[in-house]
Amino acid sequence: MAPNGPTGGPTGGPIGLVPNGIAVGPSGRPRRKRRGRGWLTAYAMESILLALVLSLVFLAPGFATWGNLLNVLRTISMLGIIAFGMTAVIICGEIDLSVGAGAALSGCIVAWFSGALAAPLGEVAAVIVGVAAALGAGVLTGMFAGKMRQAFNVPTFIVTLALYTALRGFANLITGGYPLTSFPDWFDFLGAGTLLGIPFPVYVFVLVFAVMHLLMTGTNFGRAVYAVGGNAEAARLSGIDVFFVKTMTLAVTGLLTALSGVLIASQIGSGTGTTATGMELDVIASSIIGGTSLMGGKGRIWGTLLGVLFLGCIANGMTLMNVSEFWQQVVRGGTILGAVLLNQILERARA
Amino acid sequence: MQGSVEFSAVTKTYGPIRALADFTHRFGSGRVHALMGKNGSGKSTLIKILAGAILPTAGDFRLNGVPAHFTCPRDALAAGIVTVHQELSLVPGLSVAENIFLGRLSRRRLGPVSVIDWPRVHADAARLLTEMDIGDIDPGQPVSDLSVGQQQTVEIVKAMSFEPAVLLLDEPTSALAAREVDHLFALVRRLRARGVTILYITHRLNELFEIADTCTVLRDGHLVGAIEMADATPEIIVEMMFGDVAKARRPARRGAVADDPVLSVRGLSRRGVFENISFDLHRGEILGFAGMLGAGRTEVLRAIFGADPLDGGTIVLDGVPVQGPTPRRMKELGLGYTPENRKEVGLVQQLSIHDNLCLASLGRIAPRGMTSRRRERPHVARQIRDLAIKAADPLLPVSSLSGGNQQKVVIGNWLNTGPKVMFFDEPSRGVDIQAKQQIFEIMWAEASRGVSSIFVSSEPEELLDVADRILVLRHGRGVAEVAPGETTLAQLFRICMEGHP
Repeated sequence: MAPNGPTGGPTGGPIGLVPNGIAVGPSGRPRRKRRGRGWLTAYAMESILLALVLSLVFLAPGFATWGNLLNVLRTISMLGIIAFGMTAVIICGEIDLSVGAGAALSGCIVAWFSGALAAPLGEVAAVIVGVAAALGAGVLTGMFAGKMRQAFNVPTFIVTLALYTALRGFANLITGGYPLTSFPDWFDFLGAGTLLGIPFPVYVFVLVFAVMHLLMTGTNFGRAVYAVGGNAEAARLSGIDVFFVKTMTLAVTGLLTALSGVLIASQIGSGTGTTATGMELDVIASSIIGGTSLMGGKGRIWGTLLGVLFLGCIANGMTLMNVSEFWQQVVRGGTILGAVLLNQILERARA
Repeated sequence: MQGSVEFSAVTKTYGPIRALADFTHRFGSGRVHALMGKNGSGKSTLIKILAGAILPTAGDFRLNGVPAHFTCPRDALAAGIVTVHQELSLVPGLSVAENIFLGRLSRRRLGPVSVIDWPRVHADAARLLTEMDIGDIDPGQPVSDLSVGQQQTVEIVKAMSFEPAVLLLDEPTSALAAREVDHLFALVRRLRARGVTILYITHRLNELFEIADTCTVLRDGHLVGAIEMADATPEIIVEMMFGDVAKARRPARRGAVADDPVLSVRGLSRRGVFENISFDLHRGEILGFAGMLGAGRTEVLRAIFGADPLDGGTIVLDGVPVQGPTPRRMKELGLGYTPENRKEVGLVQQLSIHDNLCLASLGRIAPRGMTSRRRERPHVARQIRDLAIKAADPLLPVSSLSGGNQQKVVIGNWLNTGPKVMFFDEPSRGVDIQAKQQIFEIMWAEASRGVSSIFVSSEPEELLDVADRILVLRHGRGVAEVAPGETTLAQLFRICMEGHP
């Protein structure tokens, strides 16, 4: 009997034990209790990532060095911080295309405040005000998309497509088209520095992962996100405020985007209107590789972590192996498609 | 256009269920034949067989004496049998003419390519409309600009463009206003005058006497009989539909219901949907809402629950006057609502049974926002035990359950909120007899614990079995209040259909 079939027996009889079936947890997370082949289906993404890393260790010269691995982690941190928020947005049935532009704008805002307020307030206060303004702008941008969805029923695809252009415009208006290098020297630490030998952004990345994972699996809000994405009307009739949930996930993503933007600006040492171009697609791709469904209602923060690691390792490995940038693009495309197909096949195998 | 249809021993079985059993009957040409029967009597099955949508398990039928073997709807269409379904199937963004000739628009050559011959399409549509004496519809108008009644007319014009010998009308009036119904009947009479045989399904008894020539009644898949409308009375037809129904097996209920109203509704209105609805629901009472499809029962419940907007009226729930209800607010005040279409809006199919049972009570089980499986488990286990939900593992997707068990999950989701008032909207639809009885027992058990309920059902016999008191709605108005002990099924059915006993 298929556990995902529309009905059980006509008499409502016991549905029986499920051979090779996967029970669904509160976050749509498979419960792992089978052996043998079942183990491989349950941990398919993990297994593939492991296989990838192992083969890169042997194939890519210099991959398995401490310095290179830290470099990979630093690179994916900027992407991953946003991807954890994006996953929540996609699970509740929306999308945010504006994160690349949002990250650029955030860096420019910090740079502008650092320059303009350094004289009256002092360097430290100027940077703090700048970061607060950038984070605030990120939250407001997300809320704006949510409110447009609620008040005028404009799909977030459209609103964030508009923001995708507009935010980058604002970023360039702030900088006048040139990189703003008004940061104090110590500001480099956030994006480029290390703490106890590990790049600082990695700490932020791990913290954001932990918070988002807890939010999505251990709180009422997280449950509401899955319910809203799975069936908005059922959620509404259960007394869940659908638009509050959607707006909050967008606001959280806006916040994380701004945070990532600050780290990027710090790493490159300037606020630049053209940074993070195309980043939104990598962010969405890592969510999808991690098993998040664009139809909503399904996905895991853990899966997104795997997706981010996967994209990071593959890009780094290919660079080390001297694969041309053009072939890298082709491989990345194939990876996205392959991951989605794999998820479809696994879904059927579990059913 | 000749179209007599003759069935001989047509049977359709689904597993052990005989949806239609040995149906033998002749529908004479050029007349309006009404098909009557309550839900599940087999009339839809009959219509689907005739329309080629399903194949009979046994038996055959003849069209004008010629054996008909339809394997798909297109075969039926080619033989001149056209169906107008209850739900409109027009494309709103396209014009009237385009809709009428959808998929078979006239073409002409333009040099090397074949293009749509718009002048001809519009001329053909205009001719059809004129032939049927329809003056108020322009072939070039988009369908989305038309009223529901006009859209229904376009459906029928579209059906007529196939030049049918037999026209199947499945509850064509359920969405229409009275004036539009008159217009439709005029159209049906014109078609009959042209020799078209019409099979007409309706739940509205009064319509039969206005439009039908004969009435054929089905019950539990069997033909009860056919009667000429000239010889019929409403009593005869209701008697044919229901026969001798065994009286309810209601459990020994506590006798009187307390006097204090838990829910008071006065003058509730929503423009075009329902109007001036007033009632009191008392502590521990089960109030039935009776009425035909489209009478406004579900709409009233949804409006009180805050799922749909309201235009006026007052709601007092447990002593608290409520302005502008929302599902969230009403849930906090102790109101629960199990919707009629559980698959679409009652459950999140991707989530587990466990999560669906906690959907409405998230904030109640974990008041500070942090939730966990462990904390929820006792609530889930209690509902699974009390409601006898047959689930191998609560962490399986809810979609793995049968219809009856899914319905119990919807109910359990709300019982977990500790409601004072429950709205049960068609809780017994699409579930088997055993689950149905269990669901009624749950309702009685909740009532004896002091929970008040409103119970909507399209089966009048269920309302007589389950409810303490029944409010009858018709065309969005409360028309009568009856006591189950003092009302027969036939009486209740007549009130539902005609608005008076």
